[in-house]
Order: sequence, then C-alpha cells, then structure tokens
Amino acid sequence: MTTVPVLAAVHVRRSPDAAFRTFTERIGDWWPLRTHGVYGDQAAGLSIVDGQLVERSVGGETSVWGEVVRWEPPHRFACTWHPGRGDGVHTLIEVEFRPDEDGTRVELVHSGWEIYGDEAEQRRAPYEAPDAWNHVLGLFARADN
Amino acid sequence: MANVALAIAALGDPTRRAVFERLRDGPRAVGELADGLPVTRSAVSQHLRVLGEAGLVSQTRVGTRRLYRVQPDGLAALRAYFDELWGSALGAMRDLAEAGESDVEDG
Repeated sequence: MTTVPVLAAVHVRRSPDAAFRTFTERIGDWWPLRTHGVYGDQAAGLSIVDGQLVERSVGGETSVWGEVVRWEPPHRFACTWHPGRGDGVHTLIEVEFRPDEDGTRVELVHSGWEIYGDEAEQRRAPYEAPDAWNHVLGLFARADN
Repeated sequence: MANVALAIAALGDPTRRAVFERLRDGPRAVGELADGLPVTRSAVSQHLRVLGEAGLVSQTRVGTRRLYRVQPDGLAALRAYFDELWGSALGAMRDLAEAGESDVEDG
C-alpha cells in the first residue's frame, strides 16, 4: 500500500541560503512548539543538534523527533519524523529550497504514511481525540512500543 | 477529505457527538438516529450535515432510504491534519525569514 504524501510549499523573499538557515537553524523559532510539541508549555526549544531534531524541556529533558538523513545546504534537507518517542516507526520530511526570480520556493514533502496501514485502532482515532496533536504523538508513541 | 480541526469542532457539541457515536455501531437512517435522542429529526439532519462537512460522516442512498455512515479513513484525516499544520508552520517560517535583513533585491 502506498499513500500520497502531504505537500506544502511557501515562497520566501530571501535567498535559498537564508531560507535554508531559517528552516533549520531557527526551527525552534517558527515551529508552533507550545501547541505542537512533546512537552507542551514546558517546552524550552526545538533545534537540530548533531544530526538530530531535538526538543528540550525547561526541566532539561530531551526528546528526539527525527534524524537528519540529507543535509545539502542550501538546496535540500531531509529528516525522519517521529515526535513523541523512538524511531521504530517514522514518516519522512524532505524539504527543497529552489531559487526563483525574487527569492526561494520552499517545498516540503511529508511521506511515508503507509506505515500506519490499516491498523483498526488508529483509523478513526483522530476524530475522537480532544486534541489532534496529542493524538498524533500517541500514534508515534504507540507505534514505537 | 476529512479536516481534523473541523472534525474536532464538530464533535465539540454533545448531541452531535451522540449522533456520531450511534453511527459507530453501523449505518443508520435519520429516523433511527433520532429515536432515543431528545432531539427532532430535523435537528439530527442538521448535525449530520455538519458531521458530513467535517468529513466524519458520508451518506448513501439505499432504495428510498438515505443511510449515514462513519467515514473510516483516519489516515486521510491525519494527512489533512499535517497538510494544515505544515501550511501554517511554513507560513510562520516565511515570516521569520522575511523579517530578517533582506538579502534579495525586491521587485
């Protein structure tokens, strides 16, 4: 079973180098960490450290969200994606930075959804969760166990 | 396609949630859903419409009956959720990048 990836794109009126650096070096400044993190309001930051995407809590805990699998500044970046726990099951984020006439087109592909297959428990669960992000984290956490 | 944000909002209403829960036992017609709920058929129809717009429920016509059923495609909902999440996150990334010193000639 294959599934169609999620595609997202945005135009940035900056060079690919600036866009690449904002995406990677400043990910903790633009990702909605308070609402979409592992530690919630205890989140202290999100950054790429030693080839891993890592969230830190104010208490000093860390949670690895993914591993960098491609690092080709300022053209492309890719990492596995498993916020919540372990990398037993993960999806994949690939980001391209393409120069255009007045800046950079940033194209993101989030693929690998087939790992969720037909697991019955997961099929309707997103609807039932009071908070979809927590459900997303739950998916990754369960899949890892 | 299901929209998780819409779906969550749709299920915030207790009566609508009750309608949805009853559909989880299998496809039902409006009348069957209204039986046992303290609301009118037309109110149930309204709730079904909202659930349908949120991608939670679909309808099929069987003979003269219109049956409502749960849309089982949670995977689509999850993808839709990330679709929206990445869209807004990349927008924030762009704003941050553009707030910095310009290194691209305008115009």
